[in-house]
Amino acid sequence: MSVKHGLLALLAEEPMGVYRLRKEFEARTGGSWPVNIGQVYSTMQRLERDGLVAKASQQDEDVELYEPTESGRAEAAAWWRTPVARGEVGRDELVIKLALAVSAVGVDVRDIVQAQRSETMRAMRDFTRLKSQVPAPGEPISSPELAWSLVLDHHTFTAEAEVRWLDHIEASVARAVLTQSRTETTDRDEAEVPR
Amino acid sequence: MSDPVLLTLEGVRRVHGSGAREVVALDGVDLTVRLGELVAVMGPSGSGKSTLLNVAGGLDTPTSGTVTIAGDVLSEMDAKGRAALRRKRIGYVFQDFNLIPALTAAENVSLPRELDGVPARRARTEAKAALAEVGLEKQARRFPDELSGGQQQRVAIARALVGPRRLVLADEPTGALDSVTGEAVMRVLRARVDAGAAGLLVTHEPRFAAWADRTVFLRDGTVVDSTGTDEPEALLADSSTGT
Repeated sequence: MSVKHGLLALLAEEPMGVYRLRKEFEARTGGSWPVNIGQVYSTMQRLERDGLVAKASQQDEDVELYEPTESGRAEAAAWWRTPVARGEVGRDELVIKLALAVSAVGVDVRDIVQAQRSETMRAMRDFTRLKSQVPAPGEPISSPELAWSLVLDHHTFTAEAEVRWLDHIEASVARAVLTQSRTETTDRDEAEVPR
Repeated sequence: MSDPVLLTLEGVRRVHGSGAREVVALDGVDLTVRLGELVAVMGPSGSGKSTLLNVAGGLDTPTSGTVTIAGDVLSEMDAKGRAALRRKRIGYVFQDFNLIPALTAAENVSLPRELDGVPARRARTEAKAALAEVGLEKQARRFPDELSGGQQQRVAIARALVGPRRLVLADEPTGALDSVTGEAVMRVLRARVDAGAAGLLVTHEPRFAAWADRTVFLRDGTVVDSTGTDEPEALLADSSTGT
């Protein structure tokens, strides 16, 4: 992704200069993805090089305006249509830590789960505090506020999914202990190795 | 933190059954809820959440330990006194709203006050004020089946905090609602607590627990952790071990 595609999609609405583009982008993504003016400028240069934008035919007196070319419009339309691919799954520290904790000696998975759950709940409470400052569902709301609110919802739902996963780990581990311990499995495996 | 304490549990233990069938539902729980504070309780099934809520509301009696509500120690009162305290001080909010279908929203809210011997006119005035607090003054004359789920739950919150009631005990209040309506209900609960009440909220949804000031985690009847920004001791403990 794609600041590039985001900017292209905005230009497809009307020609804009880099300052206005930056402002629109930040406001309409709820400030979730800050960009600096240099980034916007260099993105425009690359898009121009790739034939996706051009200097607008109607120019402003003070600033240079850009507009998408035909292929730029097609690219923006394709971006709207294409679902975003999931990033590489399971590659974060928490996943690795908990996977290891299941079999690590002298580590109680439940303690790790609880510590993480508290931390994630704390983050969720921060998101919720911010959320309480935007109008409630059904109340009048500006589109930047709605965007910001939905970005906060994303963070909250993602954190919630993590808490649910932690709950699931705790329950799974508790149940697994009832049937067979890790050590017994290891002993049996070793016993089966021919000497 | 100089806000008055509305609810205190000290060393609360609750054992069901005896001998081989003994089940320890709560095991030495300490908990304090102050005015202006919303505390969430989370934990797996069977961790003691519901027992905690029942004991806190005087619906269940601890095997040992004390429960104090607005300065009154429950174990020092007789059954009649406890019932009166419950009516006057405590409101309940349940997953399924528990409104009386044959009564209007206003009548549902004024009922506990009238049962308490408050003159009907005054009970109505209090009910109207309580409904206004949850943004439902226009729906006062509607019957529950003429209200949406979210509105019914707001009526239940109004009823829980009508008149002198300041302690609301909520058991999965968002359980029957979609996520947007659930959020709206949590906003109302939060606002009512901020305006001068105390709340204890049992939920299994982290998203809604996040509206609370603190979350208490129960496991096998014991508080294993408590998160919140208003607990200096916990924060100190964090910083000393976090290096």
